[in-house]
Amino acid sequence: MLRILLINDTAKKVGRLKAALSEAGFEVIDESGLTIDLPARVETVRPDVILIDTESPSRDVMEQVVLVSRDQPRPIVMFTDEHDPGVMRQAIKSGVSAYIVEGIHAQRLQPILDVAMARFESDQALRAQLHARDQQLAERKRIELAKGLLMKMKSCNEEEAYTLMRRQAMSRQQKLIQVAEQIIAMSELLG
Amino acid sequence: MIEPTAGPLAWVNGSDAPEKTEINLGFMALSDCASVVVAATQGFAQPFGLTLNLKRQSSWASLRDNLVNGQLDAAHSLYGLIYAVHLGIGGVAATDMAVLMGLNQNGQSLNLSHGLQALGVTRPEALQQHVHQSRSKLTFAQTFPTGTHAMWLYYWLASQGIHPLQDVDSVVVPPQQMVAHLQAGRIDGFCVGEPWAASAVKHNMGFTLSTTQALWPDHPEKVLGCTRAFVEQYPNTARALVMAILEASRFIEQSDENRRSTAQLLGAPEYLNAPVECIEPRLLGNYSDGLGNHWHDPHALRFHGGGEVNLPYLSDGMWFMTQFRRWGLLREDPDYLGVARQVQQLALYRDAASAVGVTANGANMRSSQLIDGKVWDGSDPAGYARSFALHAMSASAPLLARR
Repeated sequence: MLRILLINDTAKKVGRLKAALSEAGFEVIDESGLTIDLPARVETVRPDVILIDTESPSRDVMEQVVLVSRDQPRPIVMFTDEHDPGVMRQAIKSGVSAYIVEGIHAQRLQPILDVAMARFESDQALRAQLHARDQQLAERKRIELAKGLLMKMKSCNEEEAYTLMRRQAMSRQQKLIQVAEQIIAMSELLG
Repeated sequence: MIEPTAGPLAWVNGSDAPEKTEINLGFMALSDCASVVVAATQGFAQPFGLTLNLKRQSSWASLRDNLVNGQLDAAHSLYGLIYAVHLGIGGVAATDMAVLMGLNQNGQSLNLSHGLQALGVTRPEALQQHVHQSRSKLTFAQTFPTGTHAMWLYYWLASQGIHPLQDVDSVVVPPQQMVAHLQAGRIDGFCVGEPWAASAVKHNMGFTLSTTQALWPDHPEKVLGCTRAFVEQYPNTARALVMAILEASRFIEQSDENRRSTAQLLGAPEYLNAPVECIEPRLLGNYSDGLGNHWHDPHALRFHGGGEVNLPYLSDGMWFMTQFRRWGLLREDPDYLGVARQVQQLALYRDAASAVGVTANGANMRSSQLIDGKVWDGSDPAGYARSFALHAMSASAPLLARR
């Protein structure tokens, strides 16, 4: 069963989304107005998906969405009446996985949620891949730096420096990056 | 409409940069996984835009399953494992597989228990006599039903006049558990990779009766395997992976000092979790058999050999199919050459090799003479499979009659 966190940012007492959800057989585990700290709420409730029912997403809503995407990433679906493409772009940029304008029909909820979850997963995978790439580049730069320092210290060529670093790393059952960091730290210490 | 953004992978288009930059790389705790571990930990992959996440596997069967279900992108694999999955032997549905490169040659061995030594069974002839005179069957362990160790064990026993499927029993035991099984008396001998044979010798629990290089000097052993779908979807990644591991292989063999450091790295808990004294000697070619003989082996485990080790020869892949046929694992002759051409990624390997300055010879076959004097050169696989006195090729008629 999907754990749904519903955020009501409407003037109406009971949003139309709530009614459509119960009609479609979904269970809402938690419901709040917007005057909350959304990331904290997500941390406590641990929902699978966040639904936001809003007539028109305000700056406040967008900010909360940005915070959730950064700290507690979850699929977020926004149901709204706002047609303005600028607002829609803003919402997607903030981290909304699906932006649904008008017409909440109970029978369409399941496919909408499915698409939002799938999109969220693929975004997360891309993000992880980007992160790994950044890290890989950073490691490579540190290793290059250490190699340069070692070449100076030992007045040796590039290949010899790599071999020395690798032998050291392997004999100590370490990774090359660890030895590179040690060389950099030592060189900083000795100035 | 969602605004089209330049996705993070847009940079890949039109370049030969890897399509997938993070690779889950499986391995088993064996000395011959060295080039994979060294490539992943010693900065050989970053220059090619790859991060290699090492994933140790507990058995060859789980390594196989994880390769097929995609949890592993590529793995240190048994030659016979890749071909068995490709041909659908051994209770799994056939999945198209690929051999990207050879990882090593030689370095496995057949070992017997102290109990057999006490009975004077220390020579092949004595084993043959024992097997044919003793009432109880001996039990030998190998590591995977279609794996290299099973094939070496069967071939060696047969070359000594012992039928491996009739005269003895054989069981499957994961490599790192061999010594414990030997100690518990559950098995009388085993065929396995290092450091597990050296470990049995060192702990005085068994002795090495024969190395596999004595059976076939420079025999193919582990390969870098993956699914064919992986190579097709990520060809640049596959090529970069081969380049990184080729460079690591070359590095390991640059000097004895590098080999020693490699042995130390491998001993770490996350890799082999074994004392360096059990890893280093045989990695440097220094053998003690536990019977008082010591020698430096000219055909010890090797990872590169100037590239000779790494070329995925068609004849190497075909040999395993001939043995599957010989021992009844294949009921009919497969299209030996056709299958090997599909599995062995020769073109991709040659691209990768030339990119890192490794000589890739132009031949797709090589010729070898094995312990029984037979020459294998890939020219007549069906005839070769049929040429052995001891075999388990059942004609189809009796099989049907039995049902």
